[in-house]
Amino acid sequence: MAERSDVPEIFRADGVGLEFSLQGQPRRILEDINLGIKRGEFFTIVGASGTGKTTLLRVLGGLQKATGGAVTFRGQPVAEPPEGAVVVFQDYSHALLQWRSVARNVALGLEGRLDAAAQAERVRASLRMVGLEKNAADYPWQLSGGMQQRVQIARALALGPEAMLMDEPFGALDAMTKATLQDEVLRVHAETGTTFVFITHDIEEAVYLGDRIAVLSGPPGRIHTLIEVPLPRPRNQIETRQMPEFLRCRLAVYDAIQAAGRR
Amino acid sequence: MRQLNLSGTLTILLVLAVWEAAIRSGLVTYEYLPAPSAILVASWTLLRSGELAAQTLHTIGAVLLGWAIASVVGLSLGLALGYSRTVRTYLEASLELLRPLPGIAFLPVALLIFNFSLSTELAVMIFASVWPVLINTMGGIMSVATRLHDVARTLRLTPARTVTRLLIPAAAPSIIVGCRLGLGTALVMAIIAEMLGNPHGLGYAVVSELQAMQPERMFVYVLAIGFLALALNAALVAASRLMLRNRG
Repeated sequence: MAERSDVPEIFRADGVGLEFSLQGQPRRILEDINLGIKRGEFFTIVGASGTGKTTLLRVLGGLQKATGGAVTFRGQPVAEPPEGAVVVFQDYSHALLQWRSVARNVALGLEGRLDAAAQAERVRASLRMVGLEKNAADYPWQLSGGMQQRVQIARALALGPEAMLMDEPFGALDAMTKATLQDEVLRVHAETGTTFVFITHDIEEAVYLGDRIAVLSGPPGRIHTLIEVPLPRPRNQIETRQMPEFLRCRLAVYDAIQAAGRR
Repeated sequence: MRQLNLSGTLTILLVLAVWEAAIRSGLVTYEYLPAPSAILVASWTLLRSGELAAQTLHTIGAVLLGWAIASVVGLSLGLALGYSRTVRTYLEASLELLRPLPGIAFLPVALLIFNFSLSTELAVMIFASVWPVLINTMGGIMSVATRLHDVARTLRLTPARTVTRLLIPAAAPSIIVGCRLGLGTALVMAIIAEMLGNPHGLGYAVVSELQAMQPERMFVYVLAIGFLALALNAALVAASRLMLRNRG
């Protein structure tokens, strides 16, 4: 794998736009997105629905092509999903292969690339990282929503990615499960140094997890504001959320979303 | 194992008893309608002489062969059509033209080309039973959730792996439905083709006993066709359970 330390930013978007025509009418989804995401950064994206959050993530992950501007990952233009960047979807029940066991779901991206022993080792390590080592033989439908989402995260981690692109991964989970998974993702971030791009519509979640927050406005989606989160790590569900800085950031994001909506 | 359905069996026995009684008492007097007991005697004769086994074996062999070919063809075409929009654009018109054509209308053509032979029987069977497999495979592949396509792409699966590990297993339930429908069609077409085009097997036996004015023996073959259909379907249900448990 070519390490490009001369590229300080792992993702770059320059003037990225995306539009398509719907029944003859041009529809602009993204407009003039300029963005640099640093290696190892936890970058969160918030915005009202319809501001193109998901589309932006799909463009970064190579699942959708921008119709204008340029996207690069590790300095290389992104046209297809690049090696080293993997997307985790919100709808885990559709994203998992219901006919495969947990371990075989996690192995999916490794098959044909590693021998059986190496695959098994990676699967075990990934499942351990998300606390599912006891559920390797279970099937997705036997697990709770939170556990299913963990399987999807483990499947992405098994590839040893440099960047994880997560599309509202905890949007469908209850508050308690959500808090546990947030801490798990933070732990993975601290342990592996993986870059995270994380979409959410939950302001507190964006602040709690992120190093930086992009607030989108739209449609068409644009970056309205970038907010730095100067909270120390490791973060803690009780202490971090009581810090004055946390409240200040939360207010800043809230104001930015309000202002973005008035545009 | 399923338990024997006692009440259902009783109904059948009752119908047979009424039938037997109606004929013995002279209440019903069709010249060529045999009593169940006469059919039972005829089955014993045909079993002992080996005729029943020989004809049944021919039909089973023909059905399995024709169905297997139709399934492979239907599966391959269905996969290509379901996977590729380009293939759909080129082939859909021809398929829509051919599909409504009843397979049996094809029999004279097949006869002309292949004469009275197994090839004629197979041609008619394959033409008719390829459709359910093809249509269900295509539909199954096309309705695989778009999310799974995203998953395949973001995990950078090769196209071959996407098809074998994701699309086919995800579409397996409807592919199996197609194969089951195809097997039923194959059996029907085999019997018709044997009656008209290939002088072998159970269909031929029914017609030749009819011409020989042997209604008891004719009934034996008719019943044999019914049992064959039941057995083939049961075998396929068992096989498909096994397949669904071990998919991709």
